[in-house]
Amino acid sequence: MPSSASTASSPASPASARNTDVVVIGAGLAGLTAARRLVAAGHSVTVLEARDRVGGRTLNHDLGDGQVVEAGGQFVGPTQNHVLALADELGIDTFPAYDEGAAVYVHGGRGTRYTGDIPPDLLALPDIGVTMARIARLTRQVPLHAPWEARHARRLDALTLDSWIRRTTLGTGGLDLMNAFLGSAYGATAADASLLFSLHYIAGMGSEGVPGTLERGIGTKDGAQERRFVGGSQRLSTTMAEQLDGRVVLGSPVRAVEQDGRGVTVRTDSGAWTCRRVVVAVPPALAARIHWSPLLPPEQDALFSRLTFGRLMKCEAVYDEPFWRGDGLSGQGVFRAGSSVCSMFDNSPPSGKPGVLMGFLGGRQWRAWAHRPAHERRGAVLRAFAQVVGRGALRPADYFEQDWTTEGWTRGGPTAIAAPGVLTDLGAWRDRPFGRVHWAGAEHADYWNGYMDGAVRSGRDTARAVIEQES
Amino acid sequence: MAAVTEVTERAVLAVPLRRVWEVTSATDRYAEWVHGVLEVTAHHGTAEVGRTYSECNRTVGPLTTRSTWTVREIDPLRRRVDSGTGFEPMHGMTNIFEFRRLTFDDGTEGTEMTYSVRYRPGLGIVGRTIDKLQQPGLRKAFQTSMRNLEDLIVAEGDVAADDDSGATTP
Ligand SMILES: Cc1cc2nc3c(=O)[nH]c(=O)nc-3n(C[C@H](O)[C@H](O)[C@H](O)COP(=O)(O)OP(=O)(O)OC[C@H]3O[C@@H](n4cnc5c(N)ncnc54)[C@H](O)[C@@H]3O)c2cc1C
Repeated sequence: MPSSASTASSPASPASARNTDVVVIGAGLAGLTAARRLVAAGHSVTVLEARDRVGGRTLNHDLGDGQVVEAGGQFVGPTQNHVLALADELGIDTFPAYDEGAAVYVHGGRGTRYTGDIPPDLLALPDIGVTMARIARLTRQVPLHAPWEARHARRLDALTLDSWIRRTTLGTGGLDLMNAFLGSAYGATAADASLLFSLHYIAGMGSEGVPGTLERGIGTKDGAQERRFVGGSQRLSTTMAEQLDGRVVLGSPVRAVEQDGRGVTVRTDSGAWTCRRVVVAVPPALAARIHWSPLLPPEQDALFSRLTFGRLMKCEAVYDEPFWRGDGLSGQGVFRAGSSVCSMFDNSPPSGKPGVLMGFLGGRQWRAWAHRPAHERRGAVLRAFAQVVGRGALRPADYFEQDWTTEGWTRGGPTAIAAPGVLTDLGAWRDRPFGRVHWAGAEHADYWNGYMDGAVRSGRDTARAVIEQES
Repeated sequence: MAAVTEVTERAVLAVPLRRVWEVTSATDRYAEWVHGVLEVTAHHGTAEVGRTYSECNRTVGPLTTRSTWTVREIDPLRRRVDSGTGFEPMHGMTNIFEFRRLTFDDGTEGTEMTYSVRYRPGLGIVGRTIDKLQQPGLRKAFQTSMRNLEDLIVAEGDVAADDDSGATTP
């Protein structure tokens, strides 16, 4: 049974609720941002959400005592102005991610303390330097709005990021460290993504007038991992849903969208909604699974089907207190190939109690561990944590995992990545409206593509486009 | 024929014998706790007498070797004996794990583990010299392995209460 996200009247009462100006499909950050803007512009809006909760890829895990920790998207940082402005509007504060003391770099099972963002691997440093400098140079050549128009776009899109790094470096250090970052950023490796896609992704790690850089993407201080939301990132969505006052219908997966010159019919298991326009704010690969009538243009269908998610799990261990802080450790760890997690963070709530360590198990690590018995995976993750903060990590008070590949309405994470050839062949179809249907979502953003900021930005932009069409 | 060398180390692990036996019997898991095993390249799951498993092992510095072990003897919860090839110039490599259940003063269960290898050094005097040089390293490696094993079992928590329903065979 569909249920309403707020206490307001159920929208299932036939005439009023089944007919609305705009149906928004998906109550993640993008869909809710779009809905909010559309309502503010005076449109009647219904948001149809498949899950029985809002927030999509953001999800709060209850720690008890009114505290939460994030099991999905969580970090924000400089130049992510849209999600930060939204939080401001909603009265949701941020707090700095814990970043005091030394991080630990684990290579060959051995941990080394360091400060700053670049791990102290003397042999790998030249490769890292070369890779970062070349990426910086190449990203400047990629037009954010149309990466397929970059100089040598086809050549850049014919390579994977992996094959390009191997070509331009001597050892595997640069590649291994790139993969440690991509394990969480893509839920995949450099071998899974096209070079052009990756350059576009990095070029977007900024904002208008502030060019994107890889440093900002990987950084904690002054970077994308700098801050978190008080009360957890899902609060952005639950607050928006409350303010949408009964317009969000939960438990209503959209199965079919039919349109003609006069309007659109959106079908769920519990009935149909008619409207003038639709905003589809679901991940592209899931949009391709909706039954479209008429069919999606073949290029758009092909693009969305190919924009599949990486594979990512978050593993979090809860301790009575963040004992590592007293040892001068930030709880941050970077693992070079061969470990069970790719990177880890102190994920304690702002009060600092309880202590929480969070590890990303993504890409190659996900492949190695996702199918192992749960206790073996837990053991491997906690031993990786112990390499960073000591044996105290082996005995948490609680431990939980969130595997985003098992979420039917996400199917992976954190974002969609494009393999070679996809961007140059099909990229121009990404945001193109299909009749009365418009697209939104983190994967439809040029800046901070795949991030919460990208989701909010695209929700706002798509709402603006719909408002223009309707005026 | 060269004399047989035996290197033995003993440790007390603060984890129950049942779990120690389970993990040491898993032929796919040695890379997770045996120092120097980089990868298990072939295995047969829970150890069975007469069956084999193979490993890639670290030797000196970046050098590696491929070894194959055959399970020779299983005395449940007590003793496990395997014979291995691939460690030239050491011949007749035999690995022995022995276990004894302990009860600590606070009533919790522990395990005394004895980790031994036996082999015949080849290459005459050169082999014997290599053997002498490697013995302290071996002892340290055994102690590290047993500590790793304890850590692994501690980190895996209460397995009986664990729900493995999500696990599938890849
Ligand atoms: C583990 C993890 C870590 C991350 N870390 C960060 C981070 O630190 N910082 C950051 O900025 N970003 C991070 N992200 C990414 C970020 O969470 C997402 O980019 C963002 O939340 C996406 O928002 P969205 O609205 O575009 O999509 P979603 O959140 O995916 O929302 C789409 C909604 O559509 C619904 N839906 C799907 N199909 C249908 C259908 N047929 N009918 C109705 N509803 C449907 C879904 O249930 C969902 O609620 C992370 C993501 C994950 C998974």
